[in-house]
Amino acid sequence: MIAMTTEPTYADDDPHQLLVNSRHLASQVRRAQRGTWIPLVVFALVTFGAIPVDRWSHYSLTCRTAAPHGVNGVEAKVCAVYATAGFVYWPIALVLAYVAVAALYVRRSRERGLGTRVRPYVVAGIVLAALATAVSISSALHPRFGAPTFLGLRLGTQPDAFYHLIGPASAIGLALLVLAWLERSLSLLALTLVYLATVIHPLDAGHIVHHLSPWTFLPNLLVHGGVLLLGGIGFAIAERAARTHDA
Amino acid sequence: MSSHPANGLDDTVHQRVRLGILTIAHEARRVEFGYLRTNLDLTAGNLSQHLSILENAGLVSIEKGYEGKRPRTWVSLTKAGRTALHDEIAHLKRLISHVEQPPDRKRS
Repeated sequence: MIAMTTEPTYADDDPHQLLVNSRHLASQVRRAQRGTWIPLVVFALVTFGAIPVDRWSHYSLTCRTAAPHGVNGVEAKVCAVYATAGFVYWPIALVLAYVAVAALYVRRSRERGLGTRVRPYVVAGIVLAALATAVSISSALHPRFGAPTFLGLRLGTQPDAFYHLIGPASAIGLALLVLAWLERSLSLLALTLVYLATVIHPLDAGHIVHHLSPWTFLPNLLVHGGVLLLGGIGFAIAERAARTHDA
Repeated sequence: MSSHPANGLDDTVHQRVRLGILTIAHEARRVEFGYLRTNLDLTAGNLSQHLSILENAGLVSIEKGYEGKRPRTWVSLTKAGRTALHDEIAHLKRLISHVEQPPDRKRS
């Protein structure tokens, strides 16, 4: 049986051809494993699911004095308003979403006769969800004034962008970055960067909804969920077209 | 002892179909017999022969089972298989760059 080592050398045993063939087979496997639309649609649903939570949750306000002796002689306070139910909804919804995405990926790959690596994605997702929740709770209970600091170092000159980046919406974006790396997908990377841009620089909802309206959170949730949902639909169409082309 | 890159090639792996099996198994973590047969364009008998060679060399492990009533054969890469694939790809790259080098640089 091992006598196969004496078999003739075919033209396609040429090193260059072997490497090309190997790369082609690897990319074929990656294409068959891809189901990028699944996490996008699942996370869009999680984002839209936050609408009733944010609308009908109990809101709390935490204030603290920004500077012990005031700023320019005027007492300065910094306050954080937050939906308490969000601290329960987001970690549970995100963890369930990561588990659902992983299960759907595994099932889909199995049907195609392939295994798939989901552990790095699930682990990264759950760690990010836990971190985002912990940091969100900490920022809500201890509102900070000015640039954020870590171990005494200033973390940037745009405090708003920083605080937007530590919320649950960015946990979705960062997990999608991990997925883009796992799937070596430049198009998912591009979509994720667009999504993260909408998270870091949210709409000024005051122009769309009255700032005292209980719906002020809605435009940004709709934008975040909309980007994910439209991306998911786009990927579903592209993946379907690619499968038809491969077949 | 020549250092020509072709000397490092492993005959078990340096073959289109077997390198293909290792590549797919590496990329997919594990792969079903049917996927390999279709994508490598082989008959079941031919694929079985190549899998036996790889299994006897300790490069893949084969797991047979059922999904519902359907028999399934799953192929996974062993640690030795991962190393062999990695080495083969490295040798192929070295061989290509050796062949593409101008003759005067090959002598030095």
